[in-house]
Amino acid sequence: MTDAPSMIEIEGLHKHFGSLHVLRGIDLRVAKGEVICIIGPSGSGKSTLLRCINHLEVAEAGRIRIDGQTVYRDEVNGSMRSHSNRAISAVRAQVGMVFQQFNLFPHLTVIGNIIEAPVHVLRRPKDEARRRALELLAQVGLSDKVDAYPEELSGGQQQRAAIARALAMDPKAMLFDEATSALDPELVAEVLTVMRDLASRGMTMVVVTHEMNFARQVAARVIFMDHGQIVEEGEPRAIFGAPREPRTREFLRTVLDR
Amino acid sequence: MELLNPEIAAANIGPLFAGLVMTIELTFVVILLSLVFALLVALGGMSRFRPLRWLVKAYIEAIRGTPLLLQLIYIYYVLPEIGIRLNSFVAGVIALTLNYSAYLSEVYRGGIQAISKGQHDAAAALGMTSGLAMRRIILPQAVRIVIPALGNYFIALFKDTALCSVISIQEVVFTAQIIAARNFQYFTLYTIVGIMYFTVSFPAARLVGYLERRMRAGYRRKLR
Repeated sequence: MTDAPSMIEIEGLHKHFGSLHVLRGIDLRVAKGEVICIIGPSGSGKSTLLRCINHLEVAEAGRIRIDGQTVYRDEVNGSMRSHSNRAISAVRAQVGMVFQQFNLFPHLTVIGNIIEAPVHVLRRPKDEARRRALELLAQVGLSDKVDAYPEELSGGQQQRAAIARALAMDPKAMLFDEATSALDPELVAEVLTVMRDLASRGMTMVVVTHEMNFARQVAARVIFMDHGQIVEEGEPRAIFGAPREPRTREFLRTVLDR
Repeated sequence: MELLNPEIAAANIGPLFAGLVMTIELTFVVILLSLVFALLVALGGMSRFRPLRWLVKAYIEAIRGTPLLLQLIYIYYVLPEIGIRLNSFVAGVIALTLNYSAYLSEVYRGGIQAISKGQHDAAAALGMTSGLAMRRIILPQAVRIVIPALGNYFIALFKDTALCSVISIQEVVFTAQIIAARNFQYFTLYTIVGIMYFTVSFPAARLVGYLERRMRAGYRRKLR
């Protein structure tokens, strides 16, 4: 593991959905600038883990630190106390998230989507936000779609716009929740290219994905999750080349044999 | 019995038209007030504060469980007995606003709940507080969804203002009643009143239909 300072640190995270124990003691450290990919069968808790990192799901136990600061809740006199909604929002503003279903705002144009949070959350001047948005749209290859509405775009274009929207907040880290799973096969590559480019620019990234080639080529570390636990983690070469755990071997055999 | 009498029609068209203007005025005042009040009711009904939710629920059920006509009479004739004396226009506006807001708040609620969880997630992930997300992301989409339903309610409201004749607001039905009491020309007078309502309602209904088609077309750049 790298010696670089931590961007995200997770200790002892537990989460239930009713009687279902979906995260069973997750410990994970992501260094600044590191790209990690989380793989595993569906229902293994990968997406839930990602959603806990920016508190879209509330974990019952455990601690999350982002850039050295404990977030979402603190121990006060021996009992856990949640941060205020405003404080939680302030942390989320520092962590970008990209969703499987894009979740662009359909009533806003592409540029409207991108400047929305910089203008209304970070209170940046509109023309400055626009300038930055145009740079980001160039970065994700959407300079010709500035004034289009999301419905007028292909899935791949929507997802690239969603990435630009997250980047517009100048996040410290980016979370990708199966960002290519809802795309037609021929549109997957354009989104992965943007993600690969982002990784090469030094962005800290946590990527939940079924794209094993992406994980193999881009990730510094691959995490294999099953039944709410991290079963195995290591460099892609080790995980894909010589997995130690039987469950990892079993999973890789099913996904790679397709 | 004499049917539609042109002389009677010509002699009374002025006062009847003035009555129609009052009907329209009443409608518009209630539309504006209930658009805002119903939204507050809808948001109150979804509040995290439980007593507020109960209050909203009780209000909606009370309104839905009693006739509008009774509500009008109650506010105009019963409230003075506890010292609240309102002129007929104000009483009519209050009764209609309270009544329609109960129904419209349910329309708003439906619209707000129709917005997918993904929109809430995306807004939250960008650091928006729930209030900001509601104002900038959820409501603009919800309002667009409910515009046709609101339009239909407002057309119904336009016709329901006729009930205000019982509290002697000088709207078109009341005006016709006053004139008819003098000359007994029911057929002519009430036919004119019917035509007046229809010439406003029918185009309004077409407009709502148009808005509904526009809405279904989704969000796109204006062509041309």
